[in-house]
Amino acid sequence: MEIELNDAELVLQIGSGSDREAEAELFRRMAPRIRLYGLRHLRDVYAADDLTQQVLITTLEALRAGRLRQPEKLASFVLGTCRMTVLDLRRNAQRKEALLEKFGADLLAPVQPSMPHLDHEQLARCVQNLKERERSVVVMTFYDEQSGADVASFLGVSEANVRVIRHRAIHQLRDCMGVAS
Amino acid sequence: MSCTSPVDAAVLADYWLAALAGSEEEAVELHLLDCDQCGARLREVIALAEGIRNLAREGSLRMVVSDSFLKRVAEEGLHVREYAPPPGGAVECTVTAEDDILIGRLAANLSGANRVDLCICDERGVEQLRLPDIPVHREASSVVYQESITFAKAAPTNKMIARLVTFDEAGGERLLGEYRFNHTRSLPGPGAW
Repeated sequence: MEIELNDAELVLQIGSGSDREAEAELFRRMAPRIRLYGLRHLRDVYAADDLTQQVLITTLEALRAGRLRQPEKLASFVLGTCRMTVLDLRRNAQRKEALLEKFGADLLAPVQPSMPHLDHEQLARCVQNLKERERSVVVMTFYDEQSGADVASFLGVSEANVRVIRHRAIHQLRDCMGVAS
Repeated sequence: MSCTSPVDAAVLADYWLAALAGSEEEAVELHLLDCDQCGARLREVIALAEGIRNLAREGSLRMVVSDSFLKRVAEEGLHVREYAPPPGGAVECTVTAEDDILIGRLAANLSGANRVDLCICDERGVEQLRLPDIPVHREASSVVYQESITFAKAAPTNKMIARLVTFDEAGGERLLGEYRFNHTRSLPGPGAW
């Protein structure tokens, strides 16, 4: 039976020598998480993929060199690296090709868990079944990308109230779509 | 491994919308870099957000929208067809294959109205649908109603009456405005219900 290593154990294994399997496992595990960070901050799938690759390379460099002193702080280290890399990407810093050569493209094949598929017709019914204000809030925020203050001004309510309405609407939509946990 | 402190989907939506305070955002990000279950939930939220964006682009939702919404759809290159009958008046209208969004701009004095309902009636004035407590700004001079373009494109030639009503302190209904839309079908096909 194969026992799954936790993040800290993986860090230690990678730091103790060149263990391709542990490195590959780290990549498989962290890539989808980093990609989500990239999607949130860069709003672009290709840029998120670039970010994922660069953060993984930087992380692997650090782990191989034993620079992560506290293995249980892997998430903190990766978050810090994500932030720095987003800044780098925005400054168009490109070290990618050289690093790809150094670490090998096979190891860095992107891991992209697909987005869940939602039934479009069902979602239309669920959105239409929301109360008027809830529907306005979700459309204004998710489509129109209006700030809480702008939505509040349109509805004539407080920003805190907009947040409450949005939260209620999201829970109702998830219930209606059958994805609520 | 099971998550012992799952992040609520609504909080993940706030995260996706960049609506969390700095410290809260950092806590969520740290958690997401350590938890695949919450990552999966965030993906569901992102899919929901994308689905809502697609629905909005389709113009198939019946709802009250803002002028900024109309600006946004125009920026996306969508074609907006708008009619603005005066209160108590009528407008001749249609919808073509090129239209993406169908709007009725209903002028009304909304000052002092605490709650406004929008009633959609047939040509005899019999209520068919009510949008209760629609979002209105008291200082606004009109309500911008989006009719479902999917519905309008399938509709035969017909007449529709829209009514904006408010309520007095005793709960009695008071008419703010009535608007007649005389729709002529211009698309080919039978267009019957």
